[in-house]
Amino acid sequence: MRNRATTSLNKPKIRQSWSKYNLYNLSRIRPPHFGQRTFFQQKWASKSMARDYHGEQVPEKKWQRMFSPRMRSVVPMSSFEMAKDDGSSQSAGRGSGLDKKPGAPDTLEKFIRSRRVPYTQMTFAPLERRLDTAIFRAMFASSARQARQFVVHGAVTVNGKPMRYPGYLLNPGDMFQVEPERVMYATGAPKDRNERRQTRAARKEKAAAKEAEEAAEEAASTEEAKDETKGEAKEEAAVETESPRETLTALLAQAKNIMSRSKDVLPAKRKQELRGFQKAVRRILSRSGSSTVLTTNLEEQFAELTTLLKAKRAEKPSDSKAKEENGENSEEATAEKPSTENSASEDVAGKAPENSPITTQLAEAFRQATQNPEQDVDASELTDHEFEVLRRALIQMRDNPIDSTKPYATPWRPREYMSAFAMIPRYLEVNHNICAAVYLRHPVARPGWTEVPSPFGEATHTPAFLWYLRRR
Amino acid sequence: MFKWLNAQGSEFKHHTPGETNYLSKLDPKLNEKNANGILEKPFPLNLSFRSEPILSEDLRNEIYNRVVRMQRSVRGVSVELGVDMRRVAAVVRLVELENKMKEQGKSLAIPYARAIHEMVPTTPLYDDAREYRSNPHENINDLPVHRLTDPQIFYPVSESRQFNRIDAGRAFSGAPALLHRDAARMAAEPDETIRRITQGDFRQIETVGKGEDEQQVLLPADARIPHPHLIANDRNRISHGMTEPGLVRTKYYKRLDQEMEVDQKRKERAQQRRERTIHKVQPENSRFEFRFRDAVVSAQTTGANGRGSQAPGHRYGVPSYDRKKGQVKIPTRVKV
Repeated sequence: MRNRATTSLNKPKIRQSWSKYNLYNLSRIRPPHFGQRTFFQQKWASKSMARDYHGEQVPEKKWQRMFSPRMRSVVPMSSFEMAKDDGSSQSAGRGSGLDKKPGAPDTLEKFIRSRRVPYTQMTFAPLERRLDTAIFRAMFASSARQARQFVVHGAVTVNGKPMRYPGYLLNPGDMFQVEPERVMYATGAPKDRNERRQTRAARKEKAAAKEAEEAAEEAASTEEAKDETKGEAKEEAAVETESPRETLTALLAQAKNIMSRSKDVLPAKRKQELRGFQKAVRRILSRSGSSTVLTTNLEEQFAELTTLLKAKRAEKPSDSKAKEENGENSEEATAEKPSTENSASEDVAGKAPENSPITTQLAEAFRQATQNPEQDVDASELTDHEFEVLRRALIQMRDNPIDSTKPYATPWRPREYMSAFAMIPRYLEVNHNICAAVYLRHPVARPGWTEVPSPFGEATHTPAFLWYLRRR
Repeated sequence: MFKWLNAQGSEFKHHTPGETNYLSKLDPKLNEKNANGILEKPFPLNLSFRSEPILSEDLRNEIYNRVVRMQRSVRGVSVELGVDMRRVAAVVRLVELENKMKEQGKSLAIPYARAIHEMVPTTPLYDDAREYRSNPHENINDLPVHRLTDPQIFYPVSESRQFNRIDAGRAFSGAPALLHRDAARMAAEPDETIRRITQGDFRQIETVGKGEDEQQVLLPADARIPHPHLIANDRNRISHGMTEPGLVRTKYYKRLDQEMEVDQKRKERAQQRRERTIHKVQPENSRFEFRFRDAVVSAQTTGANGRGSQAPGHRYGVPSYDRKKGQVKIPTRVKV
């Protein structure tokens, strides 16, 4: 639902927000043409337009006190060119007709001279120091207002200490962190009506189960235990009737379904698939008898799964397996979705080049699984690719589980229209895994570029800057 | 609005991994990609803002590896990987925190991080070390523009004079020109001159002006960039890089080690100074440590009229405006 107070469609105002209404407004703005308007009117119109975006949550008086006419900028230097010349060749012959002709920019220095520094774009740079704005810029919240709420509600720490002031001005080197759960909520897709209903049902069921359990405990505990064992035995019997080969093919098909990333597959459908896969894996693993497998790391879980299903690799030479696998992984990583793989590799470490210890561990597990003499000979053969698919599906299931207790749609996916606003300015160094960022330095302008993200160009910022110079 | 969202706007609903998905896509004039094949202007009206790449997960881990496991200096890693020194330090802090959180079994936002790295341009971990020089993450030698250099000044110099960056700094800060023999001595060994400034005592820098107007003479750009040692290295490369590349490399590493040593010493000295001024008391069986610092009455703290706000304690005739309306109580710094 649109917030009518802040997001007007009649008089479009651009806000620091990722909402689709804001995106629509952003797509409609045109460069201002002031025509016959007086200078005062131009300045007024520009500053109100810019202020609707920059620190709209900050009172005007407060901003006026923050404003500074001095703007930070840097010039990129080339050490090679500074080594070639101590500056005297630039100063020599000035005014005596020895100036070089302006030509194509071949050196860094000439390139710098050919581009202007967009100074007035830095008008609102002091606002970027605010904690709430920095949280929004680090993409931890979907709007500056939400970032402010996170701070006020105590979900943000600065240098490890809770900070409840959204107006706290970050100093260079400050590290701020938002609770990852809040960030997942802010940036994740919301639950739809069905999911909300499911959540309610799950909650009720849980409450009912708890009550029933308590009642049962009071009545008689012995009978209960009997029933349970019976039920388990029944289930196991049912599972064992399936042949491992069939189970494996079914599992693989499910895994492939999950991993195929097509946009037209409805989220609900995908979720069903995921749930089915999860169930299947759990069912198979439950046969192993050791409950630790479910809780310990993914590699063990995967190895257990392969041994249980009596799966086997298609390739025979076992010593070159690790290498092959690595090679294939990297190929896939480059071909399919590089960034996903990279981030997945971070904590699963299956993808990292050969020096990663867990890869060898995994390879070892494979080797044991394949060379185990007790295994049946008719075990189904899997190609590397199929193994990979299975593994990746498991990883995704572990990292991004279905959990109805979460306030966002699970498995987590980015909210719609988020990518149009996705950018991280250079003055922040962000670690998204832990939702923490470091404010490295104050934003600066450099020849041709500014570091203050703003939807408006110089045509708006220059009159706005002049307005705040207080020489109206 | 919904007509637009369902037609043109539908492109922005979901992202394609590895590509940016910005509004400027719709404008045929702006729909141009940079050298890395990435659309980098998020705002169609603001052409002077671009979405710059962030460090990829692999590059981040590499930085951490080099600094923490291989014990390289932050300065050296910054030059090797083309990443700003402050960023290198921040990466180390963040990865350290991440490891700590993992150890504690806290939940991380992994699917979220993955999605962000798909949407935003990233700098990959290059296999070839030369790539870091030709295509670095950012420029590591940024020179901050000093306030003194804002005005344009007309400064006549005789033709016989070599007017270099040291002289320019003096001219900007209104200091008298160097004596000819000093200038010649400095020009003869430029590396040593700059090294003496950057590694020496900052209080030794010459000042101009009197009383309140006293300020340090603006240093040459060679001393104000983050990596002055790179200029020395490039000078060596130009003079004898073709004939003796080994020697150049040895000199570079020697200088790096020396820089690290100086940084270390500086840090230690600062630590000692801090410890000298603070008296720490930890009572037995107490969780707390009490730190006392002597109240100093000087021009820096109480000021000339004794009313300065820096000095601690209540002073006669100096009211505390603490409880007055409009006093901002937001902390200005959080100590680590």
